[in-house]
Amino acid sequence: MGIAQALFLALLQGVSELFPVSSLGHIILVPALLQWRNIHRSDPSFLAFVVVLHLGTALALVLFYRREWWGIVRALVRSVIRGKLSSERNESVGWRLVVGTIPVGIIGLVAEDPVRRLFGSALAAAGFLVVNGLVMFAGEYLRRRQQRSETRSPRAIEHMTYAQSAAVGVAQAFALLPGISRSGASIVGGLLCDLDHEEAAHFSFLLATPVIGAAALLEIPRLFAPGAHLAAIEALEGAILAGVAAYLSVAFLTRYFKRNDLRPFGWYCVVFGSICFVLARIGGIS
Amino acid sequence: MKALALVLALAFFILGILYGMGIINVFTKSGAAHAHHVTHLVVLWVLALLCLIWARFQNAGSTR
Repeated sequence: MGIAQALFLALLQGVSELFPVSSLGHIILVPALLQWRNIHRSDPSFLAFVVVLHLGTALALVLFYRREWWGIVRALVRSVIRGKLSSERNESVGWRLVVGTIPVGIIGLVAEDPVRRLFGSALAAAGFLVVNGLVMFAGEYLRRRQQRSETRSPRAIEHMTYAQSAAVGVAQAFALLPGISRSGASIVGGLLCDLDHEEAAHFSFLLATPVIGAAALLEIPRLFAPGAHLAAIEALEGAILAGVAAYLSVAFLTRYFKRNDLRPFGWYCVVFGSICFVLARIGGIS
Repeated sequence: MKALALVLALAFFILGILYGMGIINVFTKSGAAHAHHVTHLVVLWVLALLCLIWARFQNAGSTR
């Protein structure tokens, strides 16, 4: 992998991890579209590079929400020591994040390998990217219908029930499928649990931090796997670029979701996914 | 509920050890087997820890 390719992939990963457009889908489809035949998704060096990019992304999220995370961690520790739940905001949000993270851990443990083996092709990634777009449209439609038919007002994260937090976590686990966006699925899940777009995106990004961070940390052995030759400078540059891209993405998206919805991303996924699907069907990409 | 939490914690803890020792290979990749067993061990022990925390909250009784 050349340095230009590495930096491009780092930028792509950093942006597409937080935008609801599936980073895994893009990491499969874009190199295939660009006919980068020197990149093999099962190559130990490539997998090690992806781990480094995820670490950069997770670090950017921690940095962006550093004050909130500090408050949440302190509140959780206090709560465990006390052995009681309170209604303090940071504590409530923290336990909802814990509950929302559990389904991803369990489902990931059981389903990650078979899912990646079955659906690791460009055709599957393109198909699921279209599905991802349709899910966002469906989420927006259901949200509007909920608002029209009921007099429920948008609630804050700390007012979600634990069952709703777990449901958003389950929605997030669908991102094991290449082409399904983790943030897209969890934002749609949040919207259906009566959060507004801003709160749903906020919950999604907070939920992403332990998931991406833990996934990257658990995959660190890949860096030392036989055949994983990763140039330190290439890895460092990649991690920094992915981190900066992720930081700017989350800064942009938190502003974007104050006034806007998921539909533009839905259109992007449907159009880009359809093009890739047709190309994969006729053998243009593989 | 406290008993259930403790039983689950114990089950996750033992499952983690069995994965870590490579005795159980269900849901693991055949390729990088060792790394994957460590992943399962860590996730299962985290789940065990969460069950213990759950048991602690049952012990003291929550305000909500």
